[in-house]
Amino acid sequence: MSESRTLRLQRAMASLILDGDENLLEADPGFPAQMQGLAEADVQSFRDQVPALMTYRELARMSLIEPLEDTFPILRALLEEADAWDGCVQAFLDARRVKSSHYRDIAPAFLGWLATTQWGQDRWPFLLELAHAELLEVLVAHFPDTTTAEEIHADPELEDRILLEVATQVVAYRHAVHKASEASPIPVATPTYLLAYRSREGEPGLMELTQATAAFLVMAGTQTLAESARALGLTDLGPLMHLLRDLHRVGAIAGFQAPI
Amino acid sequence: MTQGRFTGVGLGLRRPHLEQVAGLEGHGVPFWETCPENVVGDGGRFNRLAWSILDRDPVLTHGLAMSVGGFDTWDQEYLRGLEQFLIRTGTPWHSEHLCFTTVDDNCLHELLPIPFTREAVRHTIARAKDLQARLPVPLLLENITYYAELGVPEMAEADFITEVIEGADVGWLLDVNNVYVNSVNFGFDPKEWLSRMPLDRVKQFHIAGHKRFGNLTVDTHGADVIEPVIELMQWTLARLGRHVPVLLERDNHIPDLNLLLAERSRLQLAYDAVLLPSEVRHV
Repeated sequence: MSESRTLRLQRAMASLILDGDENLLEADPGFPAQMQGLAEADVQSFRDQVPALMTYRELARMSLIEPLEDTFPILRALLEEADAWDGCVQAFLDARRVKSSHYRDIAPAFLGWLATTQWGQDRWPFLLELAHAELLEVLVAHFPDTTTAEEIHADPELEDRILLEVATQVVAYRHAVHKASEASPIPVATPTYLLAYRSREGEPGLMELTQATAAFLVMAGTQTLAESARALGLTDLGPLMHLLRDLHRVGAIAGFQAPI
Repeated sequence: MTQGRFTGVGLGLRRPHLEQVAGLEGHGVPFWETCPENVVGDGGRFNRLAWSILDRDPVLTHGLAMSVGGFDTWDQEYLRGLEQFLIRTGTPWHSEHLCFTTVDDNCLHELLPIPFTREAVRHTIARAKDLQARLPVPLLLENITYYAELGVPEMAEADFITEVIEGADVGWLLDVNNVYVNSVNFGFDPKEWLSRMPLDRVKQFHIAGHKRFGNLTVDTHGADVIEPVIELMQWTLARLGRHVPVLLERDNHIPDLNLLLAERSRLQLAYDAVLLPSEVRHV
């Protein structure tokens, strides 16, 4: 049984929307239908409706590209300066990586594509970190809420472990990507540690950490505060306990858990 | 919750208005329509605000995700979240678009026209029936605007919609703005078109604004509703002779809530003028 005509027409529409070579489309608007092996009458129907079909191309591409422009303004500024933004976006569309029907998943799909293909990273070694940092606050702001079933308390004790809020992320970069801006999109190469969290009011926040504090926050999720501090050579625990109380107060830490 | 609660003109719940609406109990909006994709799997401040409204006020749900005319398998995780969402909101039905949005597991994020062919009718009926079997509430399908026919049509759009809706035995979300926009782009009489349609299947209306770009009128949801579209809604309501909830859609150039509430009131007056005796008309 031959493949469904309906499916081949839908594939031709997808190709018309996503494929990059507009010159090819201009030369023969029936090309996407021809490539699907459709009958000449269907190919001709593509040729006969060029303005309307190009409207679909424009509308759908706008839906796919706008979330990237909104989420990655600094990356866009960097690549536009090098006349490479459109090429980057087209390479992403060519890879057919938008699988989810949620708009909010388009930007993470782009980040995943950057990570797996390493697109542009020979020229801009910080590119993936920059994109990650731009997406980070969005992900933290929208991370699904959960209720903490475990028994936790607000004031840390040395034998406790830390329970971060589900949205909280401790991240390490090789570049100070959080200081990049649209006006100055190239970050300084320096080890950078950040805490991304959602406040009790639901607003995203970003805090710079030292390497030791970042390591402590991660380690103290599985070991006690005392063990973690000892392992990292942190001897002055007063400021550290003060920081932990602050992080609980702002909403980055859900609470502290005594050993079972 | 009974279906009778849903009459008059409601509004689409949009993020810029969440904070204000959450703090307004006497807003006068009889119901809200919300898109599950904007709520399910999301978290944070806007999500909490949205739920505070959805748990308080009557809600209808309207999805963008299902690609009813497509060929890809259903997203099971999405369906699980959707089922819980529909139950929690208490919506009497769930609507989706009569279109396709995904091809070979790639989402195009645009409502694309299904070819008007016999094969597509059979395929879409089977898909709609299968989707209906997976939902805890009745499914409605919405007629879309289309700007081009996909391939050589074997039937008119009206026949395509009728055959799918009747074949799948689902309700119809009649978007009168989409009918109007299609009538402008393809040069037909919208009332004559509606006269051919199975109006007994209509459970809900959508109404919205549109914009002309060159030779094409596009369903933008970004402008006030024009009088001919309001008149088309009234004409159809009069033919139906029964209360059907009307939902004002506004997704672009979203105005302040007060302006949108005023636009809703204008439409409510038009609605009441058809369906209510003069002594009980209200806004």
